[in-house]
Amino acid sequence: MKIMTCPVNGPRPLQEFVYGGDLTEMPCPDQATDEQWAAYVFERDGAPGLHKEWWYHAPSGVWFIAERDTGTDEICRTYLYND
Amino acid sequence: MTDPIFIERLPAAGDEWIDRDQRLCFSFEGRCHRAYAGDTVSSALWGNGVRLLGRSFKYHRPRGVYSMCGHDANVMLEDGETPNIRGDTTLVEDGMELTAVNTVGSLRHDLAGLNDRMSGFLPVGFYYKAFHTPSWMFPNWERMIRGIAGLGKVNPAAEWKPSPKGYDACDVLIVGGGPSGMAAALAAGRAGGRVVLVEDTRCLGGSLCYAGATAPESAATVNSMRDELEKLENVEVRLNTSVRGCYSENWLAFIGPGGLTKMRATAVVVATGAYEQPAVFRHNDLPGVMLGTAAQRLVHLYRVKPMQRALVLVGNDYGYGVALDLKAAGVEIAAVADFRETIGKGELVHDVKTAGIEILAGQGVYEARPAGGLVGIKGARVCPVNSAGTGLSTSATNVNCDGIVMATGWAPAGDLIGQAGGRLDYVPEAAQFRPGELPPGMFAAGRVNGVFGVDARLEDGEHAGGQAAAFAAGKEVPARRRPADEITAPSYPYPIIKHPKGKAFVDFDEDVQVKDIVNAVKEGYDSVELVKRYATVGMGPSQGKISNLNSSRVLATATGQAVGAVGYTTFRPFTRPTTIGELAGRRFHPDRRTPIHSRHQAAGAVFMHAGAWLRPEYYGPLVRHQAIVREVQAVRRRAGVIDVGTLGKIDVCGADAAEFLERMYTGRFSDLKLGKCRYALMCDESGVVADDGMSARLGDDRFYVTTTSSGSAAIVREMKRWAIIWGLEVTIIDHTGQFGALNLAGPESRRILGRLTDLDIGADSFEYLGFRQAVVAGVNCRLMRVGFVGELGYELHVPAQHAAVLWDAVVEAGQPEEIMPFGVEAQRLLRMEKGHQIIGQDTDALTTPLEAGLAWAVKMAKPFFIGQRSLKIIAPRPNVRSLAGFVMHDSTVMPAECHLVVDGDEICGRVTSIARSPTLGQVIGMAYMRPDQTIPGTVIDICVEGRLVQAEVVKLPFYDPSNERQKS
Amino acid sequence: MPHRLLRFGLSKKYNEPRMFRSPEQLKKSYDVVIIGAGGHGLATAYYLARDHGITNVAVLERAYIGGGGTGRNTAIVRANYLTPEGVAFYDESVRLFQDLSADFDLNLFYSQRGHFTLAHSDASLRTMRWRAEVNKHLGVDSELVDTAFIKEKCPHIDLSCGGHAPVMGALFHPPGAIARHDAVAWGYGRGADQRGVEIHQQTEVTGILVEGDKVTGVQTNRGTVETSKVVCAVAGYTPPLLEMVGIKTPLVIQPLQACVSEPLKPWLDTIIVSASLHLYVSQSSRGELVTGASLDPYPIHSTRSTLDFVEGLSGHLLDLFPFLGDVKIMRQWAGLSDVTPDFSPIMGLSPVEGFYLDAGWGTWGFKATPVCGKTMSYTVAENKPHPLIEPFRLSRFKEFELVGEKGAASVGH
Ligand SMILES: Cc1cc2nc3c(=O)[nH]c(=O)nc-3n(C[C@H](O)[C@H](O)[C@H](O)COP(=O)(O)OP(=O)(O)OC[C@H]3O[C@@H](n4cnc5c(N)ncnc54)[C@H](O)[C@@H]3O)c2cc1C
Repeated sequence: MKIMTCPVNGPRPLQEFVYGGDLTEMPCPDQATDEQWAAYVFERDGAPGLHKEWWYHAPSGVWFIAERDTGTDEICRTYLYND
Repeated sequence: MTDPIFIERLPAAGDEWIDRDQRLCFSFEGRCHRAYAGDTVSSALWGNGVRLLGRSFKYHRPRGVYSMCGHDANVMLEDGETPNIRGDTTLVEDGMELTAVNTVGSLRHDLAGLNDRMSGFLPVGFYYKAFHTPSWMFPNWERMIRGIAGLGKVNPAAEWKPSPKGYDACDVLIVGGGPSGMAAALAAGRAGGRVVLVEDTRCLGGSLCYAGATAPESAATVNSMRDELEKLENVEVRLNTSVRGCYSENWLAFIGPGGLTKMRATAVVVATGAYEQPAVFRHNDLPGVMLGTAAQRLVHLYRVKPMQRALVLVGNDYGYGVALDLKAAGVEIAAVADFRETIGKGELVHDVKTAGIEILAGQGVYEARPAGGLVGIKGARVCPVNSAGTGLSTSATNVNCDGIVMATGWAPAGDLIGQAGGRLDYVPEAAQFRPGELPPGMFAAGRVNGVFGVDARLEDGEHAGGQAAAFAAGKEVPARRRPADEITAPSYPYPIIKHPKGKAFVDFDEDVQVKDIVNAVKEGYDSVELVKRYATVGMGPSQGKISNLNSSRVLATATGQAVGAVGYTTFRPFTRPTTIGELAGRRFHPDRRTPIHSRHQAAGAVFMHAGAWLRPEYYGPLVRHQAIVREVQAVRRRAGVIDVGTLGKIDVCGADAAEFLERMYTGRFSDLKLGKCRYALMCDESGVVADDGMSARLGDDRFYVTTTSSGSAAIVREMKRWAIIWGLEVTIIDHTGQFGALNLAGPESRRILGRLTDLDIGADSFEYLGFRQAVVAGVNCRLMRVGFVGELGYELHVPAQHAAVLWDAVVEAGQPEEIMPFGVEAQRLLRMEKGHQIIGQDTDALTTPLEAGLAWAVKMAKPFFIGQRSLKIIAPRPNVRSLAGFVMHDSTVMPAECHLVVDGDEICGRVTSIARSPTLGQVIGMAYMRPDQTIPGTVIDICVEGRLVQAEVVKLPFYDPSNERQKS
Repeated sequence: MPHRLLRFGLSKKYNEPRMFRSPEQLKKSYDVVIIGAGGHGLATAYYLARDHGITNVAVLERAYIGGGGTGRNTAIVRANYLTPEGVAFYDESVRLFQDLSADFDLNLFYSQRGHFTLAHSDASLRTMRWRAEVNKHLGVDSELVDTAFIKEKCPHIDLSCGGHAPVMGALFHPPGAIARHDAVAWGYGRGADQRGVEIHQQTEVTGILVEGDKVTGVQTNRGTVETSKVVCAVAGYTPPLLEMVGIKTPLVIQPLQACVSEPLKPWLDTIIVSASLHLYVSQSSRGELVTGASLDPYPIHSTRSTLDFVEGLSGHLLDLFPFLGDVKIMRQWAGLSDVTPDFSPIMGLSPVEGFYLDAGWGTWGFKATPVCGKTMSYTVAENKPHPLIEPFRLSRFKEFELVGEKGAASVGH
């Protein structure tokens, strides 16, 4: 099993974490066209490569960002959203 | 009963694995056998002269000892309890009663043995080519085929036994306790750090335990290393433990005496040795034909004389050592046939010559000559070979023998390397695969690494141990290097001799012959993966450990490629089949119980699973329907109390708490007054209904929110995420497990509550949708006046440790009114009478609030809430379906939830909730239907068991439309 | 002994023809290029040639025939979906499957075993009834059954589930079947090959040439070919290919794992699925238990197995079949699943002219192989979506018209 490093709690087995999808930026709802909005809601970057992802450390309730290569499953960096 | 069969063994030797002081008895195919403790079933039987140990899968050919190390997939036994017991590695236990699997009749008189004679009619992939025409016959054929397929029988009455599991971690894990593994453990151990060495068998030494003449000093070497290892306190040795899989980041699974261990190793040294590979010739599968190491294991570990007179077929110098071992064990050596034209000049060869054993250079076995009934052999035909694997039958000579012992080469036991993502490269000079690039933190040593001389293996192990220790310590890792090895080509490149009559087996599990592979290639299945799938090479219980290499060789020849270009099939866990019981461990089934659980039990509750929670469905002792009616009536007429502690319970605090809820929920909350609560509906980003609950204002900057029971964890999670994204000053505190909650409902509930609190709960002072914090029954309590069930009611939330006390107090205080606890079912009915939706029952994964009749709770005019922008896209379109209420005038045929609302062929929607309402005395329900059907008075068709029944659409709610009761 | 096998025993020579040729070189141009020699790609080629007379077709496969999801799946075929669109589509596939062995003259071991989806809660019982009702309405044999019925058809099951979340009923689908998955690809491959289609294995598409809004060709590791029509049938490998043409979709790739036990004498005749236990199991004609669970929890484009999966699965197997403790798992494996938010596929035309999508197969695409071939070949030949796949168009997402199959597609496959 993989180990993931929670920026607050340190290295933990992957089972303690919940994947939260790619980090995406919400377009301004008032300015986005319907199509842009639908793209935000549904489209994903499904190709292998380095992704910025949301991860949640369930026992402690910490959300953070992991930079992970979805091709190799290598986690390059984890940090809090605001860092 | 007849006396047990027992034939005395070879004279005792110091390092044998049997304990001659302990005699055991067991039965095999109805005959009693004696064994020594430490014998495996195969060693005991073979020792007692039994040659027929099992039958093959497809042709039911007799099979005997082949590898003696776990690859003898045809010696598969059962005892009525456990299917597929491996004879070659399973220790005899006193009283065992074993039979061979998959025979028709008995092992000896196996009627399915006929398949062997029919083999010409059953070519590779035969089942793809027949049985499907005419198609109506196929089920009959299939029944027959299913009947003859399969090995052992499961016993459906077998009882489940829990099996332990453990976790462990180490700096360096060494897999394999042979010389290279021990050397690696010593090197890593001396470097410090925690080192674990796992060894599959019962003692350290690996191949040196049975190396005999091939490594004469081995006992001394092993003993001194073992002593050294014992001195190192940081090195733990685990015997009888085999690594079954290597998962990402050096997370390994082993099975040992303590069940499954999951080990995290910083560095791993793979010192798993090599699998000896058979030669391929006609009848190379019959009892008496075996691997050199199998013969050595019989001789040295179990002191069994494998045969009387052997032909030793070799492709390397190692085989000469095997010949010497056999001779020392009293086996007459008919000859050594050496595939190689130019035989080695090593010591072993010299010793064989000196011993006067005839050496047939450049010769292989053309065929084995079967003994009667194919149970054993009576000789071999030996012939000159060329490298293309064509034996020349014309010049074949007869050699009389009852055993053919094959020492023609090896394949690395590289499973873990492959599983970890490492590569094996074919090295033509060595005629075998060797580890190429290894994944980070993984090192290889010894025979798996293509290093065969004992000294070289020790050196290789020491180096790998040092590398692993350095890696684990975060130091610079010394470069990989190959020790000088006195043994250069331990494998013969093509130990395969075709025979026009076939029966030259490449894969024993699946009875795949050379010609099957050749024919598969002819048909276009010309890559390893396709051959594997079509010819089923390597698909059986031994997973190709003694067949894949030869298969790649045959394939290479058939396609005119190099073996390296053909490659090998993917290595997958497990390295050895692993029981479901060991993997399952103890099977924990956590249930969540509310703090009031014991009270429900005492009150005779019948529980149901609601997500992870156990909740009272209703309270006995009445039967279900009557109990529910009774509970409903209690609430409508007097009072009832229900445990709602499973709801999500969240404090949202901070300066931006109100703004936060505005964005999370569809409703308005900034204008919610202190001491008030309000219905809260949440959507996801696509505008689909996600959750609902109540939200109460505790202060300017503090709200208390409830969620559905199943949604709570996800809602807390999402709230926390959005709080971060929006950068709002808000803190989310999850009280779900910390608080208990109950709902006291019914016309008498005010009176009952009044007995328990000093709070002014008068109708005007604590109004509908009011919120208070007060002491109730001596407990600090949050009170919400809600009306989910459509009556005057109070939801009381308290710290979990006081919940049962509060419950008791409420029940006690309600005695004069005959208060009654009610369960989930009564609540479902009550809320339906009131026309309230249950998220998840009256909505599904694509329902919008507009369809679900929840538009009133959605404030589209707000600046923003999650899902709003999507709803703006959806809202202008007409709904495809809408939720509405209906009643049934004729309720002789009662629809069930999810029966369809139809209009001719069209599916308009479905019933989401339905019940016979005790309050209204008729069947009421809610259903999705076409929006035009929602006009009250419309008659809709509901399809029940193929019949259409009519219902009349009515306006919701069914009960108390003016809300007088809940507001009273 | 069927007479078909006599020829093998009676003839000295092995005269079976090749299933598929391996053409030496790529031609300069093709009428249609299909990417991916999985079942879907090969079926599309087959029906293009057979039903539409389009034979100048190349199927390009980066590895070997059927080496993707087609050769890794657990081969469950059924039509008991939830939406009318889904049911109609998969039902057509089941119908095609039933005749396929005869069509190919290759025995696919298409075996109707009956398919149970167990319900352990009243919520799932409701979903099962919903499915049963939609199925029946559309003529698909599907029924909600009680525990006595389950016990009769599968006598060894422990309906008490070890005392935890007992089984309350099931959705029973008599036509539910299993098949030899590889053979489906081989059969389509042979049929296409015989009709002139070229199958190029070891040929990876590395780029797609687009001029204006139109496809003009594909680049491969063996050179470039011209074509005006490209079918993308690469399932778990779809996103990187779509990147080549700049099409965005909701597809996310998650591994799906499975494992197989040692062969056992037959004791399990039906296919058993339990969504609450994240489990499904059937027994193959070789006697192996073929079993799997739900998707891995996060995206990875790698087929490495995990221990978590097989531990969890083993526990759940014992919940239903407590006597299997001593049965051994032989091997485990993983495949890539291209998952959509509504658990329905994405098929048909795309924003790039001449580029056709056959994707979004997640955990459920094997059973769709024949109908995909039928409908995609039509779509390519006519350059308009086949009516059966109209609902699965890519644009449904921006139109907010999803086809919600989550309740029927997830663990059920
Ligand atoms: C463990 C598991 C169990 C499953 N069980 C079931 C089940 O029981 N029932 C069911 O219906 N479905 C099941 N599925 C899903 C099913 O396997 C897939 O949806 C289906 O096989 C997809 O078939 P396909 O032909 O579209 O794709 P694939 O068979 O995956 O074929 C795609 C091919 O494209 C090739 N390719 C990729 N990129 C390129 C490129 N750039 N150039 C050339 N070629 C390329 C790949 O090598 C591959 O051969 C399961 C899946 C898995 C992993």
